[in-house]
Amino acid sequence: MGTGSDPGPGRPALLTHAETAMGTVFSLSLVPGDLPGPELRSALGAACAVLHRADTVFSTWDRRSPVSRFRRGETGLGGLPREVGQVVAECHAARRVSGGWFDPWAMPGGFDPTGLVKGWAVDQALEVLRRSGLAGAMVNGGGDLAAFGSPAPGRRWRVGIRHPWRAGALAGIIEVGAAVATSGCYERGPHLTDPATGLASGRAASATVTGPRLALADALATAVAVGGDEALAVVGGIEGYAAYLIRPDGSETSTGGITFVS
Amino acid sequence: MKRASWYLVAGVVAGFAGVLALHSRGAPAARSAAAGSSQPGQSARPSTGPSASSRPSQRAVAGGAARSAAGALEQYGYGELAVRVTVSGNRITDVTVPALKTNDPTSQQIADQAIPELKSQVLAADSAGIDGVSGATFTSRAYEQSVQAALDKLRAS
Repeated sequence: MGTGSDPGPGRPALLTHAETAMGTVFSLSLVPGDLPGPELRSALGAACAVLHRADTVFSTWDRRSPVSRFRRGETGLGGLPREVGQVVAECHAARRVSGGWFDPWAMPGGFDPTGLVKGWAVDQALEVLRRSGLAGAMVNGGGDLAAFGSPAPGRRWRVGIRHPWRAGALAGIIEVGAAVATSGCYERGPHLTDPATGLASGRAASATVTGPRLALADALATAVAVGGDEALAVVGGIEGYAAYLIRPDGSETSTGGITFVS
Repeated sequence: MKRASWYLVAGVVAGFAGVLALHSRGAPAARSAAAGSSQPGQSARPSTGPSASSRPSQRAVAGGAARSAAGALEQYGYGELAVRVTVSGNRITDVTVPALKTNDPTSQQIADQAIPELKSQVLAADSAGIDGVSGATFTSRAYEQSVQAALDKLRAS
């Protein structure tokens, strides 16, 4: 477990930890405040346990996982962990508010909540940290991140958005109050399909959505990555959520509500 | 018999990033990549779906005895680029990174900003004062090379 080192003058130490789960790496940054060491470590352990629990329940790679059994129709929600029902409800809501651009029921192979589960898991882990008495925390699940509090007095969390095609570069930096999710085709190859055509979508190189909850931001980022400008307009109409789109030709656009630092 | 030949060139990422860094600022925003039809059997990204984008995709320029074709961008940023190969008869007569200007489809060099650019910055993460990086999901292995990993290492003891 990493311990915080002072990253510079005027900034409190951050406790930082990287945890592998769900096929990616979760970065957890804790602003300790007055929390004593043992309680810090306990909070961190509890947050990581939430992530591993989500991994077990929602792994579509594991044929015996609850979500896999649900996808195959072997069991209804009644026979499954409570979390599955929660995520299914989140998926219904996300499909509705995204105007269908996010549709986990349109995935090849059947219902697949993967576009939302990671964000949902981060929300759950962050809630554990919030209840532990920390002054602030940020959890980054492989590029989808949620935070509360402040990394330093009077400052908001600042997040760089990866450049879609320049390794190690940033396309921009934004201030984040709660959650930010980014979806794109550039990391794991084409994995987004357009619900209307079933084809791999090409309207976005990268789509970023900010808002109060990462589960929905995650789903909406997926929606904008699939639907491009049309889906971005839909997100613009959802209270509290904003979107930033980088198109494949290099041009970009955003709804109001995203605070670019640079 | 004339045949169109398609090639994807695996760029050297480090070197390419270095070249791009020289041209990172001041580029006009409205540039287009050649998102032409995909290379049969090889492209991981099919061309954009029906009536997808409002932007016209760059089509290959057909002229006289020479034909040129542009490969789709195989992946963004991690070692694969699209190139346009012009074939005359059986000979390759030109290989370029696809041009951005539709009225000048040949003879653009990489140094001439043939790759679309955003207002992008190659920043040392810590000097930018950022707390995290948001991007498409990376695998555990890719994490090691990511900017987020650099941030985490900076703060870990």
